[in-house]
Amino acid sequence: MSLATGPIELPDYLPEHLGGVAEPSPPDEVRVRLTPLAFGRACQMLHRAGARFVTLLSAQLPEPAIVGVFAIRGDLVVLRAPNDGPEPPAYTALGPWWPAARWAEQELADRHGVRPIGLVELPSLTRPDADALDQSVDGVDVFSIPYGPVRSGVFEAIQFLIQTGGEDVSRIHTRPFFKHRGLEQRFAGLPPAHAVHVAERIAGISGVAYALAFSQAVERALGVTAPVRAECWRAVHAELERLANHLDVIAKLAETTALSVGQARFQILKEQVMRLRAQLTGSRFGRGVIVPGGVRLDGRISPGSLLNAVDELERDLTRDRRLFLGTASMTDRLIGTGRLPRALVEEYSAVGPLARGSGLSTDARHERPYGDYRRLGLQVVTHREQDAMARVLVRFGELSESLRILRQSIDHLRRSDVELLAPLPAHGNGCGFGWAEAAQGELVVWVELRGGQLRGVHVASPSLRNWALFERAFPKDVLTDLAFIEHSFGLTPAGADR
Amino acid sequence: MLAWIARGLATGRITTRYPRGAEPPPSGYQGPIAVLDSERADPALAQLCPTGAIRVDVRGGLSLDRGSCIQCGECVRTAPARFAFARRYETAARTRASLVVGNVDHHDERPARRALAEQARSLGRSIHIRHIDTGSDGAEEWEIQALWNPHYDIQRLGFFLTAAPRHADVLLVTGGVTDPMRMPLRRTWAVMPEPKALVAVGTDACSGGLAAGNGLVAGGVDAVVPVDVYVPGSPPAPIALLHGLLLAVGRLTEEVEA
Amino acid sequence: MTVTFAVAMAALAFAPLLAARFGRLAAATSALGCVLLVVVGLTAALGGSRPVLRLGDWLGFGSCALRADGLGGIFLALTGVAGAATALAAVDLPPGRWLTALGCVIVLAVSVAVGADNGFLFFLAWEVLAVGIYLIASADRERPDALLEGYFTAGLTKLGGAALLAAFALLYGHTHSFSLAVWAHAPLSAGTRGVLFVLFLTAFGTKIGVLPMHGAVPAGYNAAPRLGAAWLSVALTAGFYGLWRFEFAILSPLPTWCGDAVLILGALTAVAGIVYAITQDELRRFLGYSTVEQAGIVLLGFGVALLGESTHNRALAAAGLLAATLQVCAQNLAKTLALIGIDRVEQTTGARSIDPLGGLGKWLPLSAAAVGVASLTLAAIPPLGGFVSEWFTFEALLQGFRMPTLLSQLLCALAAAALAFTAGVGLLAFAKFYGFSFLGRARSTIPRLGEPGRWPLSIATLGVLILFLGTAAPWEIHAVASGLQSLLGFNAATAVLSHPLVLGPVFANFSVLAPTWLTIVLPAYATLAILLVGASRTRPARRAPVWVTGSGAELAAVQYRPSAYSNPMRVILRGPLGYRTRLVPSNGDDPDGGLVLIRTVVLAIDRFIYRPLAELALGAAARVRPLQSGRLSSYLLYMLVSLTVALALIPVLR
Repeated sequence: MSLATGPIELPDYLPEHLGGVAEPSPPDEVRVRLTPLAFGRACQMLHRAGARFVTLLSAQLPEPAIVGVFAIRGDLVVLRAPNDGPEPPAYTALGPWWPAARWAEQELADRHGVRPIGLVELPSLTRPDADALDQSVDGVDVFSIPYGPVRSGVFEAIQFLIQTGGEDVSRIHTRPFFKHRGLEQRFAGLPPAHAVHVAERIAGISGVAYALAFSQAVERALGVTAPVRAECWRAVHAELERLANHLDVIAKLAETTALSVGQARFQILKEQVMRLRAQLTGSRFGRGVIVPGGVRLDGRISPGSLLNAVDELERDLTRDRRLFLGTASMTDRLIGTGRLPRALVEEYSAVGPLARGSGLSTDARHERPYGDYRRLGLQVVTHREQDAMARVLVRFGELSESLRILRQSIDHLRRSDVELLAPLPAHGNGCGFGWAEAAQGELVVWVELRGGQLRGVHVASPSLRNWALFERAFPKDVLTDLAFIEHSFGLTPAGADR
Repeated sequence: MLAWIARGLATGRITTRYPRGAEPPPSGYQGPIAVLDSERADPALAQLCPTGAIRVDVRGGLSLDRGSCIQCGECVRTAPARFAFARRYETAARTRASLVVGNVDHHDERPARRALAEQARSLGRSIHIRHIDTGSDGAEEWEIQALWNPHYDIQRLGFFLTAAPRHADVLLVTGGVTDPMRMPLRRTWAVMPEPKALVAVGTDACSGGLAAGNGLVAGGVDAVVPVDVYVPGSPPAPIALLHGLLLAVGRLTEEVEA
Repeated sequence: MTVTFAVAMAALAFAPLLAARFGRLAAATSALGCVLLVVVGLTAALGGSRPVLRLGDWLGFGSCALRADGLGGIFLALTGVAGAATALAAVDLPPGRWLTALGCVIVLAVSVAVGADNGFLFFLAWEVLAVGIYLIASADRERPDALLEGYFTAGLTKLGGAALLAAFALLYGHTHSFSLAVWAHAPLSAGTRGVLFVLFLTAFGTKIGVLPMHGAVPAGYNAAPRLGAAWLSVALTAGFYGLWRFEFAILSPLPTWCGDAVLILGALTAVAGIVYAITQDELRRFLGYSTVEQAGIVLLGFGVALLGESTHNRALAAAGLLAATLQVCAQNLAKTLALIGIDRVEQTTGARSIDPLGGLGKWLPLSAAAVGVASLTLAAIPPLGGFVSEWFTFEALLQGFRMPTLLSQLLCALAAAALAFTAGVGLLAFAKFYGFSFLGRARSTIPRLGEPGRWPLSIATLGVLILFLGTAAPWEIHAVASGLQSLLGFNAATAVLSHPLVLGPVFANFSVLAPTWLTIVLPAYATLAILLVGASRTRPARRAPVWVTGSGAELAAVQYRPSAYSNPMRVILRGPLGYRTRLVPSNGDDPDGGLVLIRTVVLAIDRFIYRPLAELALGAAARVRPLQSGRLSSYLLYMLVSLTVALALIPVLR
């Protein structure tokens, strides 16, 4: 928190007359307090200024309020509209004119009872019914195919309702929240060191990123800084997780075109990464290492052998990547499939490789660097073709970039002190945001602490924000392209449903 | 295409020999937890576990329910004299009671295993597996998918993946059952023809895991459909899964030392 | 036999008069007449007595008679069976007195046409047939499109009649007689034969549905109410008979290009017919286009026969003509059965298109079985009659290497490929037609009543007949071959049936088919398999619901719609089918509101030939309409003018 001596000024790039009072904000954040009436208008001004919607949440600390979180020019703009009285404030709904906010607003309404004025109800979003069919497309040819929640293959549970007139997809309707486990409520009453176990298991395949975002939120709330060595290890684990995720996506794409050897090769690479993580941390998914305050233990293998493993990985990856991109039967299915124009991606405030494949360069490691990323020279990989091929190329680029950053981080490790964990205050109070760039996209976590225990947590998962865009990714595609488009999105329903 | 074939041949044979050869985990692996000393335990030990898997009875007998253990390691770090990570992957059991280790009566699983072997005899060496996710965190799916990669390659043991439950012999269930997934789970199980076996994969499927008790998740798959084999773990490693699958199709009748 | 023939014709002539008061009785009388016709026809075909009914000179164009010779016998028998079935269906579910009367008139006209030995009598019967068809096609006053379709049918039929008149006038000009026997022996030049060939092909092609004059068939079937479509199907027999009699018997030997032209037309018609059929969602239109396809297949065999005749290769001609005749028999009977079955479906459910139907097999088992047998025959599934005739057609085309010219050989090969394509797509089309109507689950809540009517005698007997048409193929071939003996010059049955119950194309040792044995062996294998499976089953089977990826959604809404089923075909052939698909918002600009998927198919022939011609005709009619002012003075003026012109022309013509 900065110690300001006079009235706090808003940064220049924010629209004037936002209508609120600036509050003391931690670095990389701009906090503004507004009345509920001004809230809707301020959101509209931010939208016009080109801000990206992150999430809407109902906060209890420092006072009960509706909080809207947006990202613009490397800052997180936090609009706070406190409740007047016991009822949640009535603000004008964002959903009707900002598609990115629809699902977040509906979740807020269903789970916390916050009903804005003019809310366009999505009645079965948070309480999906596997048996219900939606008949919004008329025509003598049109029938519905409910695909899910039990999908063919080993996949997580989510349902797609496809309305088709044969082969072309006329409309596809995504139905998440089949796996809602209520984990955000599970945090209540836990000390941060135990709560990180819950954070890791919200989305198991991105456990490191979720633990990282959660730990950084707790550290920012309590004013603790993790030691440098811990930051280096955090970057190493996060990049190893990104490697595993991207290799998994590419292996799944190879499987969809029945490119068996390609699928096997990328599965081998992914298994090598998972075994490396098991050697390094004792868990194939890197669990139990990142805690608020730092990391729990040093790597179990020396930086030298880690570097050797990284080199071997890079050699194999280069060869497999060349073969993969040279297989025309593979790339033909990907080129032109699942087009997402840049304007659409911006309207839905998408993040991650999805957005970067349509020309946006949003990356939390680059916009609001955290941990060791402040010292690493990260380059954001973007492509402009907007199709599934572009997303695959972005992932390949990020694989190379991750390997490069791994080497740099390991080098930093060699030259850092030995301290791993900074102590947290015993009965700390506070609230704050933490973020991390998971393999799926930017993840933002809000925590509230009282008496050293967690009171409330809100997770803005990248998968939920990106799933809303899935319906619009089928302008000219047929049913058989569904697998390609879904795998090129590379999202996880567990993270979306929490 | 030739280039791919050459690349595949150049990779050589990397498949594990399990179950014919042993496959120990790397040092420091956070696998199943063993109770080293189960006598005269302090009741405060039960507070260590986020899911309540540790129990201390009135006489100080200490027990740990692996079916609820998410392998977070809090107990091992706080009381290393009492708890330690076992140096093996295998954790599968036929009954829920067998998953409890420590100060408990020894549970002979052999009759139950023999019954399962008898039922699975007609399946021979061709077993088709169907998977359903009823609320997992996504990690168990990765481990199940890993079974078909060249490192483990369970096709050599006769296990195949199928998309149609009518062709399936074994159902792998991951995740504690959320409300919207109850009916789909029942439907999937009902549509599978006999003989069939259900394997609950992961701690969430065995007991509901971290989310149990909040009303949104039933406490494990056995609250909805009967379970034949429990494979706890968060998530269970592919070798542990393979062990559980072999148990489900009756290829392991003798008990493994706990 | 003469007496039987006389009684049969008298019954058929009396039936329309009866229909003025007693609909059912009239239909029964027509049925009786048809049954007697069958007896007469079969006897004549098999070489028994050939009755002749002399009608004297009353027509004024030479003496005329009704004869049942070999060829006529075959077609009389065919007319009789189809007519009897339709008439009995009319007894069971009366379609109204007017329609019954028209139907009886049609059957009468067809039998007179087939029996006529005088060209003018034939033409008279043909025109009566045309009037009957027009009246049937425009009988439905309630549907708005029906009237237009009726006019369209009538227009095309009139075109055929005009061509026939021109042909007869030409023949009369050469021979100064209307007797068919005289025409058969007339010395005509090759050029005259060519012109006559074209005229006859136009005339009969309009009736049977040959490209590009095929429009009358689907339009007529769709426009005709109730059993009218079945009677229209009976009328087809006259068209085929005309081709056999005039093109083959009277005009032969034709130059080679005629056979080539028939092959080309046949291939195009077959392919176009079935491809158009698969895009249709209305039951009757579908059957209409299927008739067009069958006409094409018939023409393929007929083309081989013409080529054989022009090169004086008797065996080749026999192979082709036998195949064509068998095809006519099988498809005509099956089509009539299908149309009678569709009429029962319409009576029960009120639906004319496939989309609202589904699962009818449970409520209408008899109709489902009947339409099923008809569909299997039309889709040429062994061991039924349709397969036998298509096999013969294939074998006839495979004799292409015996053709004299390279062009004919190539055309035979291409025609065989087209026939294979047609057979494949035909299977797809009939799977759609039958599967979406009678199998599966109901797609809408239309009333679920039981079988209509009380005595389903017609579909039962016709169904059984068609079911065993393939089994009875050896005897059918005996009848057909001996009937065609006068045309071919020898009895082809001896060449076809080298061993009893085993068929081969006319050429010895070329290929064999034994449908009678197939009819015994295939069900025996099936029964054996069922018994083995049943005996080896140790546990009773448990039933579980349909798997819809874990969803319990209502099954009727998640299955393919009939129109979507034919989508791949539409997409692949989107050029010839003029296929366009659009997804538009159903109300205004709201992108999240409802959408409508609009798919249109505009057939190439419709777009390039029929619509321009129709517009031309309507335009000309609009210009001529002022002449019909209704004023007596105008009409008197017209009479005066025409009289003056006629008087002026007399000295000129002298």
